[in-house]
Amino acid sequence: MTKISEMPAVGRHFMSNLELTVPTNDSWTNPVPANERRVSIVSTAAVSRRGDKPFSWLAKDSRTFHKTDRDLVMTHVAVEFDRSAWQQDLNTIIPLDRLEEMAADGEISSVADEHYSFMGAADPVTMEKSARAAAAKMKQEGVNTVFLIPI
Amino acid sequence: MCGLAHYFESEGLSTILVGFVREHIEVIRPPRSLFLDFPMGRGMGKPNDPEFQKKVIRAAFELLEASSGPIIDDFPEIIAVKEGRMGYALPPELVLSVDDIGDVDVVLSEVRNEMEALRPDYDTAIAARGRTTVGASGLAIEELAPFVVSFLDGEIPKSPRKGMPAIPLLKLVVEDLEAYYTETRTHRDSIDDLELMGEWFWEKTKAGRLLLLLEAVSVASENKVMLQIVEMSLMAPRFWSEGPLPGTSAAGW
Repeated sequence: MTKISEMPAVGRHFMSNLELTVPTNDSWTNPVPANERRVSIVSTAAVSRRGDKPFSWLAKDSRTFHKTDRDLVMTHVAVEFDRSAWQQDLNTIIPLDRLEEMAADGEISSVADEHYSFMGAADPVTMEKSARAAAAKMKQEGVNTVFLIPI
Repeated sequence: MCGLAHYFESEGLSTILVGFVREHIEVIRPPRSLFLDFPMGRGMGKPNDPEFQKKVIRAAFELLEASSGPIIDDFPEIIAVKEGRMGYALPPELVLSVDDIGDVDVVLSEVRNEMEALRPDYDTAIAARGRTTVGASGLAIEELAPFVVSFLDGEIPKSPRKGMPAIPLLKLVVEDLEAYYTETRTHRDSIDDLELMGEWFWEKTKAGRLLLLLEAVSVASENKVMLQIVEMSLMAPRFWSEGPLPGTSAAGW
Protein backbone atom coordinates (compact mmCIF):
# COMPACT_ATOMS: atom_id res chain seq x y z
CA MET A 1 0.00 0.00 0.00
CA THR A 2 1.22 3.49 -0.85
CA LYS A 3 1.34 5.20 2.53
CA ILE A 4 1.51 8.94 3.05
CA SER A 5 4.68 8.45 5.09
CA GLU A 6 6.35 6.89 2.06
CA MET A 7 5.39 9.61 -0.40
CA PRO A 8 8.01 12.09 -1.67
CA ALA A 9 8.54 15.24 0.36
CA VAL A 10 6.21 17.81 -1.22
CA GLY A 11 3.26 15.47 -1.58
CA ARG A 12 3.83 13.92 1.84
CA HIS A 13 3.85 17.33 3.48
CA PHE A 14 0.63 18.29 1.69
CA MET A 15 -1.18 15.03 2.44
CA SER A 16 -0.09 15.04 6.08
CA ASN A 17 -1.17 18.61 6.73
CA LEU A 18 -4.45 18.61 4.86
CA GLU A 19 -7.22 19.73 7.18
CA LEU A 20 -9.79 16.97 7.06
CA THR A 21 -13.34 17.56 8.15
CA VAL A 22 -14.32 14.71 10.40
CA PRO A 23 -18.06 14.04 10.64
CA THR A 24 -19.70 14.22 14.04
CA ASN A 25 -22.08 11.43 13.11
CA ASP A 26 -21.63 8.60 10.65
CA SER A 27 -24.26 8.80 7.92
CA TRP A 28 -25.99 5.70 6.61
CA THR A 29 -28.79 5.00 4.13
CA ASN A 30 -29.87 1.41 3.65
CA PRO A 31 -29.13 0.39 0.03
CA VAL A 32 -31.83 -0.95 -2.27
CA PRO A 33 -31.42 -4.41 -3.83
CA ALA A 34 -29.05 -4.59 -6.79
CA ASN A 35 -31.82 -4.95 -9.35
CA GLU A 36 -33.39 -1.69 -8.15
CA ARG A 37 -30.23 0.42 -8.23
CA ARG A 38 -30.33 3.53 -10.37
CA VAL A 39 -26.79 4.89 -10.33
CA SER A 40 -25.41 8.38 -10.76
CA ILE A 41 -21.67 9.11 -10.85
CA VAL A 42 -20.12 11.95 -8.88
CA SER A 43 -16.59 12.77 -10.02
CA THR A 44 -14.15 15.27 -8.52
CA ALA A 45 -12.15 15.44 -11.75
CA ALA A 46 -13.55 18.89 -12.64
CA VAL A 47 -14.76 17.65 -16.00
CA SER A 48 -17.46 19.44 -17.92
CA ARG A 49 -19.01 19.51 -21.34
CA ARG A 50 -16.94 21.35 -23.91
CA GLY A 51 -18.11 24.96 -23.91
CA ASP A 52 -19.36 24.91 -20.31
CA LYS A 53 -17.88 27.42 -17.91
CA PRO A 54 -14.47 26.12 -16.70
CA PHE A 55 -14.13 25.37 -12.98
CA SER A 56 -12.39 28.05 -10.94
CA TRP A 57 -9.39 26.90 -8.92
CA LEU A 58 -11.34 26.42 -5.67
CA ALA A 59 -14.80 26.02 -7.16
CA LYS A 60 -17.71 25.28 -4.83
CA ASP A 61 -20.14 24.57 -7.65
CA SER A 62 -20.67 21.54 -9.84
CA ARG A 63 -21.28 20.70 -13.49
CA THR A 64 -23.76 18.23 -14.89
CA PHE A 65 -23.33 15.99 -17.89
CA HIS A 66 -25.65 13.52 -19.56
CA LYS A 67 -24.98 9.79 -19.68
CA THR A 68 -24.50 10.05 -23.45
CA ASP A 69 -22.00 12.94 -23.26
CA ARG A 70 -18.50 11.95 -24.29
CA ASP A 71 -17.11 15.31 -25.40
CA LEU A 72 -15.83 16.35 -21.99
CA VAL A 73 -12.86 18.51 -21.03
CA MET A 74 -11.07 18.81 -17.70
CA THR A 75 -10.30 22.09 -15.93
CA HIS A 76 -8.88 20.71 -12.69
CA VAL A 77 -6.28 22.99 -11.12
CA ALA A 78 -3.96 20.29 -9.72
CA VAL A 79 -1.39 18.40 -11.78
CA GLU A 80 -0.45 15.62 -9.36
CA PHE A 81 -2.62 13.02 -11.07
CA ASP A 82 -2.25 11.29 -14.41
CA ARG A 83 -4.26 12.68 -17.32
CA SER A 84 -3.10 10.20 -19.94
CA ALA A 85 -5.51 7.47 -18.81
CA TRP A 86 -8.70 9.45 -19.25
CA GLN A 87 -7.38 10.85 -22.51
CA GLN A 88 -7.28 7.28 -23.78
CA ASP A 89 -10.56 6.13 -22.26
CA LEU A 90 -13.16 8.19 -20.42
CA ASN A 91 -14.25 5.05 -18.57
CA THR A 92 -10.99 5.11 -16.60
CA ILE A 93 -12.42 7.94 -14.51
CA ILE A 94 -16.13 8.03 -15.43
CA PRO A 95 -17.25 4.49 -16.29
CA LEU A 96 -20.51 5.28 -18.06
CA ASP A 97 -20.08 2.53 -20.64
CA ARG A 98 -19.32 -0.03 -17.95
CA LEU A 99 -22.41 0.91 -15.94
CA GLU A 100 -24.56 0.71 -19.08
CA GLU A 101 -23.21 -2.79 -19.71
CA MET A 102 -23.95 -3.77 -16.13
CA ALA A 103 -27.49 -2.42 -16.47
CA ALA A 104 -27.97 -4.38 -19.68
CA ASP A 105 -26.77 -7.51 -17.86
CA GLY A 106 -29.12 -6.89 -14.93
CA GLU A 107 -26.36 -6.24 -12.39
CA ILE A 108 -27.95 -2.87 -11.64
CA SER A 109 -31.31 -1.47 -12.66
CA SER A 110 -30.27 1.57 -14.68
CA VAL A 111 -27.83 4.40 -15.25
CA ALA A 112 -29.06 7.86 -14.33
CA ASP A 113 -29.54 10.40 -17.09
CA GLU A 114 -27.47 13.03 -15.28
CA HIS A 115 -24.02 12.80 -13.64
CA TYR A 116 -22.07 15.37 -11.64
CA SER A 117 -18.58 16.80 -11.45
CA PHE A 118 -16.86 18.87 -8.76
CA MET A 119 -13.43 20.47 -8.34
CA GLY A 120 -11.49 18.03 -6.19
CA ALA A 121 -8.96 20.65 -5.11
CA ALA A 122 -11.60 22.55 -3.14
CA ASP A 123 -12.56 21.83 0.46
CA PRO A 124 -15.63 19.55 0.44
CA VAL A 125 -17.15 21.68 3.21
CA THR A 126 -17.52 24.52 0.70
CA MET A 127 -19.33 22.17 -1.70
CA GLU A 128 -22.10 21.15 0.69
CA LYS A 129 -24.74 23.40 -0.85
CA SER A 130 -23.91 22.21 -4.38
CA ALA A 131 -23.79 18.59 -3.28
CA ARG A 132 -27.21 18.80 -1.63
CA ALA A 133 -28.61 20.50 -4.74
CA ALA A 134 -27.20 17.66 -6.86
CA ALA A 135 -28.74 15.14 -4.46
CA ALA A 136 -32.14 16.80 -4.88
CA LYS A 137 -31.88 16.54 -8.66
CA MET A 138 -30.82 12.92 -8.39
CA LYS A 139 -33.83 12.05 -6.27
CA GLN A 140 -36.12 13.78 -8.76
CA GLU A 141 -34.94 11.38 -11.46
CA GLY A 142 -35.18 8.31 -9.24
CA VAL A 143 -31.52 7.83 -8.38
CA ASN A 144 -30.91 5.83 -5.20
CA THR A 145 -27.19 4.98 -5.51
CA VAL A 146 -24.24 7.36 -5.93
CA PHE A 147 -20.84 6.19 -7.16
CA LEU A 148 -18.17 8.63 -5.96
CA ILE A 149 -14.94 8.60 -7.96
CA PRO A 150 -12.01 10.92 -7.19
CA ILE A 151 -9.34 11.82 -9.69
CA MET B 1 -14.31 13.46 -2.04
CA CYS B 2 -14.79 11.51 1.20
CA GLY B 3 -16.65 14.46 2.71
CA LEU B 4 -19.10 14.57 -0.19
CA ALA B 5 -20.20 11.01 0.59
CA HIS B 6 -21.71 12.16 3.87
CA TYR B 7 -23.79 14.86 2.18
CA PHE B 8 -25.29 12.47 -0.37
CA GLU B 9 -25.82 9.72 2.18
CA SER B 10 -27.58 12.09 4.58
CA GLU B 11 -29.93 13.02 1.72
CA GLY B 12 -31.16 9.41 1.59
CA LEU B 13 -28.88 8.21 -1.19
CA SER B 14 -26.60 5.19 -0.72
CA THR B 15 -23.02 5.96 -1.65
CA ILE B 16 -20.00 3.93 -2.64
CA LEU B 17 -16.63 5.64 -2.81
CA VAL B 18 -13.35 4.54 -4.31
CA GLY B 19 -10.22 6.30 -3.06
CA PHE B 20 -6.44 6.40 -3.32
CA VAL B 21 -5.39 7.64 0.14
CA ARG B 22 -6.38 5.10 2.78
CA GLU B 23 -5.34 7.26 5.73
CA HIS B 24 -7.79 9.98 4.67
CA ILE B 25 -10.61 7.48 4.18
CA GLU B 26 -10.01 6.12 7.69
CA VAL B 27 -10.29 9.58 9.23
CA ILE B 28 -13.33 10.87 7.30
CA ARG B 29 -15.20 7.55 7.41
CA PRO B 30 -17.48 7.65 4.36
CA PRO B 31 -20.15 4.93 4.67
CA ARG B 32 -18.70 2.51 2.09
CA SER B 33 -15.20 2.83 0.63
CA LEU B 34 -12.98 0.75 -1.59
CA PHE B 35 -9.29 1.60 -1.28
CA LEU B 36 -7.43 1.45 -4.58
CA ASP B 37 -3.66 1.06 -4.59
CA PHE B 38 -3.44 2.74 -7.99
CA PRO B 39 -1.81 5.90 -9.33
CA MET B 40 -4.08 8.94 -9.05
CA GLY B 41 -6.12 9.66 -12.16
CA ARG B 42 -6.94 6.00 -12.73
CA GLY B 43 -9.98 5.28 -10.59
CA MET B 44 -11.07 2.33 -12.71
CA GLY B 45 -7.48 1.21 -13.03
CA LYS B 46 -6.73 0.63 -16.68
CA PRO B 47 -7.86 2.43 -19.84
CA ASN B 48 -9.45 0.29 -22.55
CA ASP B 49 -9.71 -2.69 -20.23
CA PRO B 50 -13.45 -3.16 -19.66
CA GLU B 51 -13.05 -6.34 -17.63
CA PHE B 52 -10.60 -4.77 -15.18
CA GLN B 53 -12.82 -1.69 -14.89
CA LYS B 54 -15.86 -3.82 -14.14
CA LYS B 55 -13.89 -5.76 -11.56
CA VAL B 56 -13.29 -2.49 -9.71
CA ILE B 57 -16.95 -1.46 -9.98
CA ARG B 58 -18.20 -4.86 -8.81
CA ALA B 59 -15.82 -4.82 -5.84
CA ALA B 60 -17.06 -1.35 -4.93
CA PHE B 61 -20.74 -2.22 -5.34
CA GLU B 62 -20.25 -5.35 -3.26
CA LEU B 63 -19.99 -2.98 -0.30
CA LEU B 64 -23.68 -2.17 -0.76
CA GLU B 65 -24.42 -5.63 0.67
CA ALA B 66 -23.05 -4.62 4.09
CA SER B 67 -25.73 -4.05 6.70
CA SER B 68 -23.81 -1.42 8.64
CA GLY B 69 -20.79 0.81 8.33
CA PRO B 70 -18.61 2.69 7.82
CA ILE B 71 -16.88 -0.05 5.93
CA ILE B 72 -13.52 0.05 4.11
CA ASP B 73 -12.33 -2.70 1.84
CA ASP B 74 -9.11 -3.03 -0.16
CA PHE B 75 -9.20 -3.82 -3.86
CA PRO B 76 -6.95 -6.87 -4.09
CA GLU B 77 -5.00 -5.91 -7.20
CA ILE B 78 -2.28 -3.26 -7.15
CA ILE B 79 -1.16 -0.99 -9.94
CA ALA B 80 2.30 -0.07 -8.74
CA VAL B 81 3.45 3.50 -8.41
CA LYS B 82 7.08 4.58 -8.68
CA GLU B 83 8.89 5.47 -5.44
CA GLY B 84 5.74 6.33 -3.52
CA ARG B 85 4.61 9.00 -5.94
CA MET B 86 1.08 8.86 -7.28
CA GLY B 87 1.91 10.45 -10.62
CA TYR B 88 4.85 11.59 -12.72
CA ALA B 89 7.29 14.11 -11.21
CA LEU B 90 9.98 16.16 -12.86
CA PRO B 91 13.53 15.40 -11.72
CA PRO B 92 14.32 18.06 -9.08
CA GLU B 93 17.51 18.99 -10.90
CA LEU B 94 15.73 19.76 -14.17
CA VAL B 95 15.25 23.49 -13.72
CA LEU B 96 15.69 26.24 -16.30
CA SER B 97 16.30 29.93 -15.69
CA VAL B 98 15.25 33.05 -17.53
CA ASP B 99 18.78 33.17 -18.93
CA ASP B 100 17.93 30.04 -20.92
CA ILE B 101 15.14 31.76 -22.87
CA GLY B 102 17.27 33.31 -25.61
CA ASP B 103 15.42 34.33 -28.75
CA VAL B 104 11.68 33.86 -28.14
CA ASP B 105 11.01 33.63 -31.86
CA VAL B 106 13.28 30.61 -32.02
CA VAL B 107 11.57 29.07 -29.00
CA LEU B 108 8.17 29.52 -30.64
CA SER B 109 9.34 28.29 -34.02
CA GLU B 110 10.73 25.08 -32.53
CA VAL B 111 7.50 24.28 -30.72
CA ARG B 112 5.40 25.10 -33.77
CA ASN B 113 7.47 22.79 -35.94
CA GLU B 114 7.21 20.02 -33.38
CA MET B 115 3.44 20.42 -33.13
CA GLU B 116 2.96 20.47 -36.88
CA ALA B 117 4.94 17.24 -37.17
CA LEU B 118 2.63 15.60 -34.63
CA ARG B 119 -0.58 16.87 -36.24
CA PRO B 120 -1.32 13.93 -38.58
CA ASP B 121 -0.98 11.49 -35.70
CA TYR B 122 -3.08 13.68 -33.42
CA ASP B 123 -5.86 13.74 -36.04
CA THR B 124 -5.62 9.97 -36.38
CA ALA B 125 -5.92 9.59 -32.61
CA ILE B 126 -9.08 11.72 -32.53
CA ALA B 127 -10.60 9.76 -35.38
CA ALA B 128 -9.88 6.47 -33.64
CA ARG B 129 -11.11 7.53 -30.21
CA GLY B 130 -13.98 9.68 -31.38
CA ARG B 131 -13.04 12.37 -28.90
CA THR B 132 -10.28 14.64 -27.67
CA THR B 133 -9.71 16.27 -24.30
CA VAL B 134 -7.81 19.14 -25.92
CA GLY B 135 -9.85 22.34 -25.81
CA ALA B 136 -10.32 23.20 -22.15
CA SER B 137 -8.79 26.62 -22.86
CA GLY B 138 -11.12 27.34 -25.74
CA LEU B 139 -8.12 28.36 -27.87
CA ALA B 140 -7.29 26.75 -31.20
CA ILE B 141 -4.34 24.37 -31.22
CA GLU B 142 -2.33 26.86 -33.29
CA GLU B 143 -2.86 29.51 -30.60
CA LEU B 144 -1.54 27.47 -27.67
CA ALA B 145 2.22 27.90 -28.04
CA PRO B 146 2.08 31.59 -29.03
CA PHE B 147 0.01 32.34 -25.94
CA VAL B 148 2.53 30.65 -23.63
CA VAL B 149 5.43 32.39 -25.38
CA SER B 150 3.72 35.75 -24.83
CA PHE B 151 4.46 35.35 -21.09
CA LEU B 152 8.20 34.87 -21.55
CA ASP B 153 9.04 38.57 -21.41
CA GLY B 154 7.75 38.68 -17.84
CA GLU B 155 4.68 40.76 -18.63
CA ILE B 156 1.14 39.44 -18.33
CA PRO B 157 -0.48 39.58 -21.78
CA LYS B 158 -4.08 40.42 -22.50
CA SER B 159 -6.37 37.42 -22.43
CA PRO B 160 -7.85 36.51 -25.81
CA ARG B 161 -10.77 34.77 -24.09
CA LYS B 162 -13.63 36.95 -22.96
CA GLY B 163 -14.50 36.54 -19.30
CA MET B 164 -11.30 34.72 -18.37
CA PRO B 165 -8.18 36.53 -17.14
CA ALA B 166 -4.83 35.67 -18.70
CA ILE B 167 -3.33 33.61 -15.87
CA PRO B 168 -6.22 31.16 -15.35
CA LEU B 169 -6.33 30.84 -19.12
CA LEU B 170 -2.60 30.12 -19.16
CA LYS B 171 -3.18 27.20 -16.82
CA LEU B 172 -5.73 25.70 -19.23
CA VAL B 173 -3.50 26.36 -22.22
CA VAL B 174 -0.69 24.41 -20.55
CA GLU B 175 -3.14 21.52 -19.99
CA ASP B 176 -4.20 21.62 -23.63
CA LEU B 177 -0.63 21.68 -24.86
CA GLU B 178 0.32 18.61 -22.85
CA ALA B 179 -2.88 16.80 -23.83
CA TYR B 180 -2.18 17.45 -27.52
CA TYR B 181 1.17 15.70 -27.17
CA THR B 182 0.18 12.82 -24.93
CA GLU B 183 -3.05 12.00 -26.75
CA THR B 184 -1.00 11.76 -29.90
CA ARG B 185 1.69 9.49 -28.54
CA THR B 186 -0.46 7.18 -26.45
CA HIS B 187 -2.41 6.37 -29.58
CA ARG B 188 0.38 6.45 -32.17
CA ASP B 189 2.71 4.21 -30.19
CA SER B 190 0.09 2.26 -28.19
CA ILE B 191 1.64 3.44 -24.93
CA ASP B 192 -0.13 3.38 -21.60
CA ASP B 193 2.63 4.45 -19.23
CA LEU B 194 2.21 7.66 -17.26
CA GLU B 195 5.89 7.78 -16.28
CA LEU B 196 7.04 7.38 -19.86
CA MET B 197 4.58 10.00 -21.11
CA GLY B 198 5.59 12.48 -18.41
CA GLU B 199 9.25 11.91 -19.05
CA TRP B 200 8.84 12.34 -22.80
CA PHE B 201 6.71 15.47 -22.70
CA TRP B 202 8.42 17.34 -19.88
CA GLU B 203 12.01 16.26 -20.39
CA LYS B 204 12.37 15.68 -24.11
CA THR B 205 10.01 17.86 -26.14
CA LYS B 206 10.36 21.48 -27.16
CA ALA B 207 6.94 22.16 -25.71
CA GLY B 208 8.05 20.77 -22.35
CA ARG B 209 11.11 23.00 -22.49
CA LEU B 210 8.88 25.99 -23.25
CA LEU B 211 6.85 25.26 -20.13
CA LEU B 212 10.00 24.98 -18.02
CA LEU B 213 11.01 28.40 -19.35
CA LEU B 214 7.58 29.64 -18.36
CA GLU B 215 8.18 28.18 -14.92
CA ALA B 216 11.46 30.12 -14.72
CA VAL B 217 9.61 33.32 -15.64
CA SER B 218 7.00 32.57 -12.97
CA VAL B 219 9.63 32.10 -10.26
CA ALA B 220 11.16 35.45 -11.17
CA SER B 221 7.78 37.17 -11.50
CA GLU B 222 6.55 39.87 -9.17
CA ASN B 223 3.00 38.76 -9.94
CA LYS B 224 1.68 36.87 -6.91
CA VAL B 225 -0.53 34.54 -8.91
CA MET B 226 2.31 33.58 -11.27
CA LEU B 227 4.44 32.81 -8.26
CA GLN B 228 1.60 30.87 -6.65
CA ILE B 229 1.42 28.66 -9.74
CA VAL B 230 4.95 27.43 -9.12
CA GLU B 231 4.72 27.46 -5.33
CA MET B 232 1.79 25.06 -5.55
CA SER B 233 3.04 23.01 -8.51
CA LEU B 234 -0.02 23.94 -10.52
CA MET B 235 1.75 23.87 -13.85
CA ALA B 236 4.93 21.81 -13.97
CA PRO B 237 4.56 18.41 -12.27
CA ARG B 238 6.66 18.79 -9.13
CA PHE B 239 4.04 17.79 -6.55
CA TRP B 240 5.60 14.35 -6.20
CA SER B 241 9.18 15.62 -6.30
CA GLU B 242 11.60 15.08 -3.46
CA GLY B 243 11.78 18.73 -2.44
CA PRO B 244 10.40 22.06 -3.72
CA LEU B 245 11.47 23.85 -6.87
CA PRO B 246 14.67 25.82 -6.19
CA GLY B 247 13.84 29.44 -5.56
CA THR B 248 10.48 28.56 -4.06
CA SER B 249 9.44 27.29 -0.67
CA ALA B 250 6.49 25.12 -1.68
CA ALA B 251 4.80 27.28 0.92
CA GLY B 252 1.61 27.13 -1.10
CA TRP B 253 1.16 23.66 0.28
